[in-house]
Amino acid sequence: MASGHYWVKSVDSTREAASKMSALSKLADIDRRVFYWILFIALMVPFLNPIGFPITIAPNTQDLYDGITGDQVDEGEVWIINFGYGVSAWSECHPAVTVCTKALFREGAKIIFIGPHYDVELTYNKLQDTCREDFATKEYGVDYVFLGYFTGGESVVAQLASDIASVFPQDHFGTPIGDIPMMDGVEDVHDIDGVLSSDTGDYGGHFMTQWQGPYGTKLAEVGIAMNGSTDLPRWQAGNFFGVSVGSRGGAELELLIGELGEATTAMDSISVSHLLLVLAIIIGNLGTITEKLGGKE
Amino acid sequence: MAYPTATLDVIGLWVGWFLMLMIYSYPLYKENVAYRAAEHMFIGVTLAITIITNFSNVMRMCITPLTQGNILMIVPLVLGLLMFTMLIPEYRWLSRYPVALLVGAGFGLGIRGTIKPNLQDAIIDTITAPTGGAMIDWFNYLYVAVGLICSIMYFMLTFEHSGPLKAPTRIGRLFIMVGLGAYFGNTVLFRFTMLTGRAQYFLQVLKLIPM
Repeated sequence: MASGHYWVKSVDSTREAASKMSALSKLADIDRRVFYWILFIALMVPFLNPIGFPITIAPNTQDLYDGITGDQVDEGEVWIINFGYGVSAWSECHPAVTVCTKALFREGAKIIFIGPHYDVELTYNKLQDTCREDFATKEYGVDYVFLGYFTGGESVVAQLASDIASVFPQDHFGTPIGDIPMMDGVEDVHDIDGVLSSDTGDYGGHFMTQWQGPYGTKLAEVGIAMNGSTDLPRWQAGNFFGVSVGSRGGAELELLIGELGEATTAMDSISVSHLLLVLAIIIGNLGTITEKLGGKE
Repeated sequence: MAYPTATLDVIGLWVGWFLMLMIYSYPLYKENVAYRAAEHMFIGVTLAITIITNFSNVMRMCITPLTQGNILMIVPLVLGLLMFTMLIPEYRWLSRYPVALLVGAGFGLGIRGTIKPNLQDAIIDTITAPTGGAMIDWFNYLYVAVGLICSIMYFMLTFEHSGPLKAPTRIGRLFIMVGLGAYFGNTVLFRFTMLTGRAQYFLQVLKLIPM
């Protein structure tokens, strides 16, 4: 009798455990569209009701900002800004490029804009919009020039170091490079004081191997978050004097220059997306572990 | 940036908004006609812009200087045209010359620039002990040192990973997994940031937040 009673209790507890397990294992089978809907809606909420998560400045971003401001940049220096990103990566790269352009212009530097993406003109137009006040005080051809699109990867970056005019015989608008006052005397790597490469790919790496390595050109990277693990060791090794990582880097730079913009606005939303991802990983793992414990194949 | 007022700009904004929703109908619902239409439009437009941009580039870099008397420009032009022989099986062998030239130049340039920044600087940075006394710097230093040595040992395939090599190669494998995990995590977060940009655009077009 006693053993029978024990058996009934044992069966009950097993059933109870199995039902708990099946509830948990369902977590692993949640339709991914449910997660996408939650994510899409949750990303919008912080834009409507900002949370205001604190932003701290990373040392790599601080180094980048310090390298393009103050004593590090003299009036009249010529810098290159490379738009190595297309429209799809505007949210990642553009805020940081905006701050860098503002900072360099305010130090009196002259800027050459180039880009290996076919939609480089759209990015240049966007920059004119996001730095409207700074561009208004500058004159095209004297303080800045848009040489436009180039293709050919590392070979062309190497060729740029030897002869800029051979890669860009004209600017983007068809003006011969010899007729642009700012380009008078700017012929090769020795006439360029610094390069800022903003990339979804590895043009920063090409400038590192073809410019910074052989000639010691000052070089910084404004990369997407995905490239952080490649860019940061290069900053630690001294190849990049500074690195901005993704839109987080952009938000830090906006904080440093004291003009909050697109990246700062987006940071809350990005933080929420990261929290949701962590939650999804926990739920998925709980479900999978429960399935395994329950012996489900 | 202010909300556009010109009619064409407003139309452009709304076309972009609808196309974005058409694309997102795939992950949020399922594959459907709207998604496929937007996808085909995207591919078509991207291809058209790429062809136009590259054609203009060839004109600017090669054809215009050639017509102005720079006879040397005939060399890249001929090499470029030879690439198209890939499309004709009988003459495909001709395309090997420009490919060989590209690969050779790429390797030559790559090797010239790689040694100092990619190897020498990276190795010096790895073996240089931190100058400060901060605990975290020393932890990072040791972590990178152990990770580097063990990961390299994992790829040492001349010897069997047993005996004294068993433990370090296993640790190396763990480090490689952590590294790949970090890469994957960064990739996912980058895509999320792109999605955040789209969410912002979604609200901006509806004038729920400022543009």
